[in-house]
Amino acid sequence: MFAMSYKVQRYVILFSFLTVPLLLLAVFSFYPAIYLAWLSFTSWDGYSPEKAWVGFNNYKEIFTNADIFSVFSHNVVYFMGGIVQNILALFFAVLLNSRLRGRNTFRVLLFLPYILNSVAIAYMFTYVYDAQNGSLNALLTSIGLESWIKSWLGDAGIVNYSLAFISMWKFMGFNMVIYLGALQSIPGDLYEAAKIDGAGPFKSFLYITWPSIIKIVELSMLLTVSGALEVFDLPFVMTKGGPAGASQTFVTKSVETAFNFSNYGLASAMGMVLLCIVVLVIFVQRKLILRGEE
Amino acid sequence: MKVLSEAFQIIQKKDHKYKLTTLNYESAFPIIALVGKRIQHIFEGASSLKKKQLLSTVAVLGLAMSMAAGCGSNNGNNEGTPASNNKADNAAATNTADNAAATNTATEEPAAPKIAGKVVFTTNRTDLVDTELKTYADKFHEKYPDATVEIEAIKDYDQTTKIRMASNELADISLIPGTVKNSDLPNFYLPVDDLGLNDRIYFKDNRSQDGKLYGISSGSAAMGVTYNKKAFAAAGITAVPKTLDEFYADAEKLKAAGITPLATNFKDKWPLYGWDQEAFIYAGDPMLHNTMATQDEPFAVDGPHWQAFSILKKMVDSGYVEKDLMSTNWEGSKKDVASGKIAMFLLGNWVVPQVVDNGAAAEDVGFFPLPLDNSGEAKVILASDYYYGIDKNSENPDTAKAFLKFLIEESGYDDYAGFIPVLKDKQPKLAQLNEFMATNPKVIEMAAENDDYLAIANKMQFDTSAFAQDAIMGKDMKEVFASYNKKWKDAKAALVK
Repeated sequence: MFAMSYKVQRYVILFSFLTVPLLLLAVFSFYPAIYLAWLSFTSWDGYSPEKAWVGFNNYKEIFTNADIFSVFSHNVVYFMGGIVQNILALFFAVLLNSRLRGRNTFRVLLFLPYILNSVAIAYMFTYVYDAQNGSLNALLTSIGLESWIKSWLGDAGIVNYSLAFISMWKFMGFNMVIYLGALQSIPGDLYEAAKIDGAGPFKSFLYITWPSIIKIVELSMLLTVSGALEVFDLPFVMTKGGPAGASQTFVTKSVETAFNFSNYGLASAMGMVLLCIVVLVIFVQRKLILRGEE
Repeated sequence: MKVLSEAFQIIQKKDHKYKLTTLNYESAFPIIALVGKRIQHIFEGASSLKKKQLLSTVAVLGLAMSMAAGCGSNNGNNEGTPASNNKADNAAATNTADNAAATNTATEEPAAPKIAGKVVFTTNRTDLVDTELKTYADKFHEKYPDATVEIEAIKDYDQTTKIRMASNELADISLIPGTVKNSDLPNFYLPVDDLGLNDRIYFKDNRSQDGKLYGISSGSAAMGVTYNKKAFAAAGITAVPKTLDEFYADAEKLKAAGITPLATNFKDKWPLYGWDQEAFIYAGDPMLHNTMATQDEPFAVDGPHWQAFSILKKMVDSGYVEKDLMSTNWEGSKKDVASGKIAMFLLGNWVVPQVVDNGAAAEDVGFFPLPLDNSGEAKVILASDYYYGIDKNSENPDTAKAFLKFLIEESGYDDYAGFIPVLKDKQPKLAQLNEFMATNPKVIEMAAENDDYLAIANKMQFDTSAFAQDAIMGKDMKEVFASYNKKWKDAKAALVK
């Protein structure tokens, strides 16, 4: 073995290192994806041995059946929540980047929700939002805001905002840490120079901080958009898409189509459409992020 | 190891090409690389936290984990639910009498089959797998010492079982998922005509195909109102309501006494399936769903569903149900009915033993048919629970069949679960049910849904309980019904194409 030439050694190492991950990737990622693509052209019901080929019918149905495509309007709420989340994250990052007493404690506290299991979070918030015994309504009562009391998960007009708030609460800390990382990479002498030139904190944020982290902001937005498109766990655990379908997201709708209504073909097509949309969004945003460098 | 480290050096230092690729990666994602380093930095800062703070962090995490574990046990909520209400198919009963006779003689084997080996039985009753069901397996083993039964409980029963069907991994004995079409039965299950049960059971035609019996009902349940007698007494109600007006009046009395009259379990959606079954009674049609499949606009104003949902609507509008429909809690509602905080359920009679399990004395729980009009005539609908089926590829089919026969004839599961036994000559054990049947209600046996209905329902994603939810939540019930009519018509038209 030691007699091998560098070239051979290189290949041996490369291939031996690559085989396992590529194999795992192929078995658990590529094969199911290709199978999914194939299923999306069939009308398979989930258990029958025969899978009838129906061409593009499933795709046609997705784009013509208002019931299916309109659930994206619920995902939009999560996207808006994501924008607020990014603003808050940036705010806290700037705040906690300054010389603040106990800033590490605050960092950890804000980051903690991200570590929690999302199903545990969902259960926790069902108790917070409970209309009769929930802590949120109890809080509103105790500070004299009875008129604000709502059925947070029962009102079709509010339920998506309630859920989006949880996802905001959970992922804000993660975004904040990313922003903190970006902020700390800005050299301190820039600020000193700005200070000497008479720039206040707002101006130095606008002309130094913001341009330095704009790329990170775009990266965060990318994560936010694809996250908003793929929301699943919160509505699935907390509302089962209710009341009367008001909190269905595209993914919970796909799951229901497959498992409750035995239409795996259509559900696979929905999966493919979502995949394409996410790829498209990422592609567009990547172009935006790299536009200055090409 | 030496080779490895050498190779790394080669790749990193000497080989320009590979170095370039790593560089390319970094230059493409300089931000990510940078951020990665910075994140490390931030947490190095964080690690200087005092011990106490770390401890509390650990405590919070531990709490979160135990909560997650708690959720798991909380979640098996619909294990008492009859599958009956959703999908079960009709026999497509094409003049099969002579067919059946032919196969019956063909399968008559003189040699007694040997009951031995291990069989697996899958069930949806995650709550009973280590208790009641285990005693069945033990008793069966006593009876046939060479045979053993392993019982496996599955959460999300229908979904998991369908996946197993698709991969030919069905257990020897299983419950047939509701959405499996009858025309698919011969692909997966063994005919069980040779058990000699054909003439002795109810719901024989529901899971038959080409004249062969593939599924035997595990029991059936009557739809009606389960109520807490003490709550009724506390509100000054002396007799169960016989007419719809009396029903509303009693609800008013309960409400006035500070007792929630009816638990709808609106949020969980599936507990609303009873309102769809009441529509069967309004229509006087045991095959209402199949009849709907022949119509373009089955949801007429003042039609069966309209009438049934109107009762629910009236209950909701008058405040005779839970205060907040979207915070209802199925497990909690059973406790509340048991303690008398809530007075009634509209569910199958299978809920009676579950209320007793939650702390009510058996004699305090009663059952009566929901009065649908003011005629005073009692009507009730019976619907079958899951059907047992035997895997076509079972290695010990005779043992599996023997266990199936044991489950039907000897186990007493139907009594335990509060079902009406599938055997015609066996009386139900549940006192409430006998009391209720003694009033001689008009009984409608719900027929299985045929492939036509299932095709339309799956196409338009029709869920009877969601329909009830929509009707109640919608601003105008007429609009909801109109939109359902339209969807039904479209789905039907799309299938004909």
